[in-house]
This record gives sequence, C-alpha cells and structure tokens, in this order.
Amino acid sequence: MPSISLSGIEDRLSRELVAAWAIAKKDVLIYYLRPGVIVGGVLFPLFMFLAFTAGKLATPVALVPGLIGITTLFSASSIEPVSVPIERRMATFDRLLAAPVSLNALVLGESLSGLLYSLLIAVVVFVAALIILMTPITNIFLIVLGILFSSLCFATLGTLFAAYPTENPGDIISMVNVVRFPLIFISGVFIPIATLPAVAQMIAYVSPLTYANDLIQGGYNGKMTFHPIVDVAMLIVFIVIFQLIANYLYKRFSD
Amino acid sequence: MEAIEVSHLVKQFGTLTAINDISFSVAAGETFGFLGPNGAGKTTTIRMLTGISPPTSGTATIFGHDIVRETVAARQSMGIVSETSNVYTDLTGWQNMMLAAQLYRIGRSERDRNATELLKRFELYERRDTKAHGYSKGMRRRLTIAMGLVNSPRLLFLDEPTSGLDVESNLIIREMISDLIKEGVTVFLTTHNIEEANILCERVAIIDKGHIAAIDAPERLKKTIQSVQSVEVAFLDGTSPERLDELRLLPMVNGARKEGDKFKLFTENPTEVIEGVMAYAQTHHTRVISITTLGPSLEDVFVKLTGLQRGGGISAID
Repeated sequence: MPSISLSGIEDRLSRELVAAWAIAKKDVLIYYLRPGVIVGGVLFPLFMFLAFTAGKLATPVALVPGLIGITTLFSASSIEPVSVPIERRMATFDRLLAAPVSLNALVLGESLSGLLYSLLIAVVVFVAALIILMTPITNIFLIVLGILFSSLCFATLGTLFAAYPTENPGDIISMVNVVRFPLIFISGVFIPIATLPAVAQMIAYVSPLTYANDLIQGGYNGKMTFHPIVDVAMLIVFIVIFQLIANYLYKRFSD
Repeated sequence: MEAIEVSHLVKQFGTLTAINDISFSVAAGETFGFLGPNGAGKTTTIRMLTGISPPTSGTATIFGHDIVRETVAARQSMGIVSETSNVYTDLTGWQNMMLAAQLYRIGRSERDRNATELLKRFELYERRDTKAHGYSKGMRRRLTIAMGLVNSPRLLFLDEPTSGLDVESNLIIREMISDLIKEGVTVFLTTHNIEEANILCERVAIIDKGHIAAIDAPERLKKTIQSVQSVEVAFLDGTSPERLDELRLLPMVNGARKEGDKFKLFTENPTEVIEGVMAYAQTHHTRVISITTLGPSLEDVFVKLTGLQRGGGISAID
C-alpha cells in the first residue's frame, strides 16, 4: 500500500487552494458586474422583498431575515450559471479542465466566487437594514453562520447546475429557477413552515434554505425550529452532496 | 523515458468509434506532427492525452505518468495551446498570464519573471495592461501560446498554432516553435498546414477516421510514394479550365490541378510529360514560360493516405 506523507498532502492541498482561489478571482474580475448576475442576484431578491412589503404580509423589519435568506440563495447561485456556459462558448473552460488541479478544486473555485458575491450582497443588505430599519438583533453569531454556510451551499448548487453542457446561460438560469422559486415558499422564508400543508412541510426538511433561514431568523428574533448545530450540520451535508454531484457531472459532461 | 506513450487507445461516443486502437510514442525532445483531415480524431486524441476526456480503453502516459490515474502529475509537465485562442477577453494580457501561472501554482517571483519574458518574446509586453478584447486575432493567438508556456513545460501540445494568422504572427510563432525545439522541449503539433509539419517535425503521424494511416519521418513518408511526382507548368496565356481538361488527357498524366497561375500535373514519368507539354504548347500556339519537375510532397502523402479527392483528381486539402 503506498504511503502518503503529510508534506505530500499539504502540498496537494496548497496547490488545490491556490488554483481554486485563482479561478474565484478570475470570476470576481469578469462576472460580478454582468447584467444577468445583477438581475438574478441583486434585483430579484429586492423586488421580492418590496412585493411582500407592499402586500403588507408583514412589516419590513419582520421581512429582513427572509430577505437575507433569499438574497444569499439568489446571489450565491447567480455567478456560475452565467460564467460557466460563457466560458464553454469561449473555450476558456477547457483551460480550467486541463489545468493540473482536481475537479474538486475547480468546483470549489467556481463556488468560491459565488460565495464571495453572496457575502458582499448579504453584508450590504444586513447593514442597510440595520441603519434604515434599525432591525433588532438577538444573536449576530447565528446570522453570520447562516449567511456563511448558506452562501457556500447555494454557490455550490449554482456550480452544480452549471455543469449542464450548454453554452447558453439562459438554459441554466431557467433550470436553477425551477429549484430556487419553490424553495422560497416551502422553506419558511416568508410563510412559516408550521402553516404549510403536511406534504410541503415534509419537503421543507430537504430544503437547504429551511436551515439557512432558521439560523438567520434565530439570529434576528430568537425563534428557531432546530438547534443551530442541526442547521449547520444539515447545510454542511448539502454542501458535500452538491460538491460530489457537481464533481460527477463535470467529469461526465467534459467528454 | 518517452514523453508520450500511447497504447491501444480507443475512444467511443455511443456507437461511434472516434479513435480506434491507436498506439505510438513520442521521444523526449522530439517534434511530432499529428496530421489528419477534419473529424479524423486529432482533437479527440489531444483531449485524451491532456486528461480532459477519458479513453474508453487503452492507456496513455506523459513522462511515465498515467493520464487517467495520475492526471495532475501528468499535466504539471505539459503546456496546452488549444485550437481556439481561449484567452479571457475581459482580462488584460498580464492578468491572463497570472491566472495561467496560478493554475500551475507558480510562485509570485517566478510567474512575474516568466510572464514578463514571454510577453516580451511574443511582442505583447507593451500591451500587457490592455484587456485582451482589444487585441487582434494574431495577438490573442500569441497570448494563448504565451499562457501555454508560462509553466516552462517539458511537453507542449500545439493545436493548429498558426491557422488563419497574419504573416507577422505566423513568423513569431514559427520562430518560437523552432526555439523550443532547440531548447529540447517536446512538441506535439497538430496542423492543417502540411508544409509547416514538413519543416518543423522530425516525425509525423497521419490519422484518418480514427486510425493511424502512417507514422514516420516526413522524408521517409515521401519516399513511399515516389510514383506521385509532378510537373509544374505555366503558359504565357494563362490557366483556363478548358486547358486543365486538355492537359489531363496528355499521355502519362495521372491527374492535374490549377495552382495559381500554373498547372500541376501528376505523373510517374516526368520526362514524357514535359515532352507532351511542349508538344501541346506548339499545337495550341502558346508558349511555356516556366516548367519544373517536383518530387512528392508531404501533402501528396497525406492525400494518398487519407484518400482525399476533389474535382476528380489528386487535390489539395482544405
């Protein structure tokens, strides 16, 4: 059995992280200001918030945790569905596929850019809500955890969908939306899970947004359905599952 | 150790066999040409050798590293220049170089040094801070090649490096390839430009419909078809289509084609064809202004082996 030295693992890990960061940095420079990303990642959650506020379903202050939840969902998963198909069309994606890094690093690098974008937008929303609406906070640590883990989770989800072999961003955005929109309504973001039909409540348990929203709601108003450890653990499970499926799909579709 | 060792490589897409049991090796420091018509399997082979596409069966090693099981180690020693100039047009020339270097985990000082040297070598240094969408086609091609060299590879895959380029870019790239060969870098070159392969490559493989039809040094391949010699002739009064048809009917002419202001007549007996051409000129009241006999070219070998025909005679490839 071949021996695996610690320095070998460190070297490999360092190589993977450097490459993942290079891929993420490239996305930051190229894609953050693309119209498709701004519409899907920033404007849509904002309009959703305004619609719920105008409909007087709840006060703006009560809607802030939900706004942060859907902001992370939409912004984190908006980069790769735009960047990957464009890169397939330009053949720059082949450059990444042929680089001396694993698919894990490639998927992580792509997801990192979604994560950073989501963190940036979520911080803006958080600070704006604090200054404009003076939203009360119960536990900021839970909010940070919620934003951080949900951003990585939804960014990986975006990377997973972007594996679909098309050169048209619209194809992937349409598919992602088929998942993103229902999640808003079954994950307790604007409508409490307890008031949902039994079937919808069952589905809510397999939605990562449920656990992200639970952490963020807990941070703002102290009301939580699950223990924070359960929320974080579930989000980590989703991240790992999405990463593994993304790895498989990129390998399969690179042929 | 061989730079590339390919053994019984097969690639199937569903029921289509794109690559059918090919085997070859490329020695370290060798310049190896991989020629074939469109759809012959050149790009599929490169995608397998660079680990992008897994083979259906067979093996390929790069400096002893199996491309499937040790993909990262195998890729570390190679540079890849794809057929498309796949640079990031929204990044500057310098940023493109930095990204390529970081993917190979090259340290800051080394990547700065390599990028500066390569951008100067490809005459792009003055434009290093301009986004690549402002570059001409030739400049993007040069940047693509510079990115492929940023890790100082021992093996360089060059896919159609000079296709459709202006004369200046062509010269810079050919000069660079010659320099790499002198430096001992192994070059795996695919090209449609057979003359380019003839000049640069020590050996060439001709692939057709997923099979390797021939593999040898260009001059040895030419010797295998000595029967395909030709006579190149120019007449004072031009090259009409009717004249081409008449020349095809001359004794010992196996085929003919128009090449610019000349006709090229293929034959096994150039002397008899020259006599026939001179007699033809006399009976048609015209003058021959130049006439030359030519041995078989690598292109002739290619045409013969791949069976490419156009216009009813032996013909050039696209």
